[in-house]
Amino acid sequence: MIVTNPLFWFALLAIGVVLLFVGKKMDLLNNTAYAAVVSVVIVVAYFHIVDHYLMEMQGLDYWYLFRQ
Amino acid sequence: MGRQNGKKIWSIMALGAMMAILLLPVATSLNALASGGGEAPPAPAVKAEGDKKDEAKVEKGRDVYYKTEGIVAGAPAPKTTDGTKDYPRYNFESRVLLWFANQQHLYYGSFVLAVPIFCMIIEFMGVVTKDKAMAKKYDQLAYDFIKISLTAYSLTAILGGILIFTFLTLYPAFFGYLSSIFRPVMHIYALMFVAESGTLYIYYYGWDKMKEGLLKWIHLSMSVILNVIGTVLMMLANSWIGFMMSPAGVDEQGRFLGNIWHVIHTALWNPLNVHRILGNMAFGGGVVAAYAAYRFLSAKTDEERAHYDWMGYIAMALAVAFLIPLPFAGYWLMREVYAYRQQMGITLMGGLLAWLFIIQATMIGILFLSTNYYLWQALGRMRGAEKYQRYIKYLVFVLVVGFLVFITPHTMVMTPAELKAMGGQQHPVLGNYGVMSAKNGGINVIITTTVLSFVWYMRGNKEPMVPWKKFGNIFMGTFFGLAYVNIIWLAIYGYYIPANVRVGLSVPQVATTLSCLFFMTALNGVMLKGAKQMGPIEWGKISARSQYAIIMLATAFTWMMGLMGYIRSSVRLFWHVNEIMRDNSPWAYTHTVGFAANMISFNVLFFWVSILFVFWLGTLGAKKAPVEAKAHAPGRVPEPAHGH
Repeated sequence: MIVTNPLFWFALLAIGVVLLFVGKKMDLLNNTAYAAVVSVVIVVAYFHIVDHYLMEMQGLDYWYLFRQ
Repeated sequence: MGRQNGKKIWSIMALGAMMAILLLPVATSLNALASGGGEAPPAPAVKAEGDKKDEAKVEKGRDVYYKTEGIVAGAPAPKTTDGTKDYPRYNFESRVLLWFANQQHLYYGSFVLAVPIFCMIIEFMGVVTKDKAMAKKYDQLAYDFIKISLTAYSLTAILGGILIFTFLTLYPAFFGYLSSIFRPVMHIYALMFVAESGTLYIYYYGWDKMKEGLLKWIHLSMSVILNVIGTVLMMLANSWIGFMMSPAGVDEQGRFLGNIWHVIHTALWNPLNVHRILGNMAFGGGVVAAYAAYRFLSAKTDEERAHYDWMGYIAMALAVAFLIPLPFAGYWLMREVYAYRQQMGITLMGGLLAWLFIIQATMIGILFLSTNYYLWQALGRMRGAEKYQRYIKYLVFVLVVGFLVFITPHTMVMTPAELKAMGGQQHPVLGNYGVMSAKNGGINVIITTTVLSFVWYMRGNKEPMVPWKKFGNIFMGTFFGLAYVNIIWLAIYGYYIPANVRVGLSVPQVATTLSCLFFMTALNGVMLKGAKQMGPIEWGKISARSQYAIIMLATAFTWMMGLMGYIRSSVRLFWHVNEIMRDNSPWAYTHTVGFAANMISFNVLFFWVSILFVFWLGTLGAKKAPVEAKAHAPGRVPEPAHGH
């Protein structure tokens, strides 16, 4: 599953950051829908990266259930 | 000018002398440490007799924790018997007397260690702030703080004396053994105490003389020295309890093996240090905030009310700042306990003492509920904060749900008939929830909500003016919302994976909470730069209920400290020094939960009655300088209530 790969979440985070800068350039950040989408993309990716790596640091697999 | 230079020279000399006093214990103990805890080095004449003879005489032992070999340099731990020789007694339980003496000393010790750290922070804020009026107020506040701690300091020393006499008279065999192991440490401790007293008195009495320029910086640096000494003192005392719980540096008979660092640096020493320093800070902040609340409630003028409202807020903010990381330090300590002896961890959290942890969870919940309640009440003294009032009910709901999950027990205390009727120790429904996976979720939800309340408080009377404010607000809302989702998801996920994987989920949960704390307060700070003020903070215009919340917080903290101290001590069960020196007194059993709770309550009551006396003493000096009864201007920055 692609979601179990941390690179997927890094890519999502990168997309979120790019959208943030694009939004800033195009004056879209004060558009509610655009701001909400960018926020959700960044935050979801961030928390998945946190969950994945903090489990990995302990020698544990965050995606244990999804790999069964 | 010449006089000023003279003062500077004297100040630098005083600082140098203090540094010398600080280093003196280390210098005097170097020889002792080098020779392994004060043992005399072998005489040259003995060496000359030949190595073979020496080797035959030298007895070696194996360190029970470090597993290294060392030369036996001490007597074995005494094997005590139940009698007046090892356990002299009054017609009363000696353990209870010792418990009382120890707890009171710890309360006061924690208080006087924490307050100078606050003074240092606040005095530093006063020195670096560019607003001269504000700088003066911070300085006055720091002085008010140290003034409270000075009387408490004397009481701490008196209680320390009472504690040592109680040990010597009621537990001579145990204390003799402990002091034989920690002889150099105890001497350093005593000398550090002298250095601490000297520094504290110079710091306090030199306040007015060293209030400007270089002298002020020297004064401030004295507070750093004071706190370094205080922290080292605490860490040395922690080494004794660390040794009692997880001994090291001795062999299986309890014989000292010559390495004093091993004896100090036991498995639990560092987690205890971190947990205690955070606990002391939160406790000290709570007590000072309670003092401010007491002065607020008894204030006669608006000026006094404004000053003590502000003082209470600062103390409360400092207490909460240290309260938030405290549960995480607690988790680390428990993790290390499990790593050291799994059985010890099970006794604590899954066995004999587990119900005390339910009480602890209740107290932690009360602490966070009180904190949130205070912050919501504090919104009332800001114009423009009304917009948040209507959302508070949702925060109450989230907090209460988190609290209920956090305090749910895994097993119930029941009569045999009840046990039979329920079909086992676990409730068919609630039994599923009283596990760490759910509890971790509960406490992290509570802490995240507290962070959210604090963020709202920060922006109570402010309107962000940054061009990206809409995005900022949406991002913050999304971050908090998804943080809740992540915490709850991890709590639920824990039910579906094996225990060895589940145990690691607490780390990302904590990281989620800390992300909210650090990133969202930072983002909020950036958004509030150049923000539009909706109205001033009207210091003193806060409800009396908020002050009772502060007193509640401080009392709950005192109770919890007593409880956790009891739990930590009880986990040794029938050992004075775990697995090394057995407790053979008639009181080597674990008290009932009810008895322990009554004893803790008595200790809390005694502490608060005595600290009220200390507060009252503090007001005596203040009454000499009458406060001008000026008309209160709403929203002004509080004036100090009195000079010094």
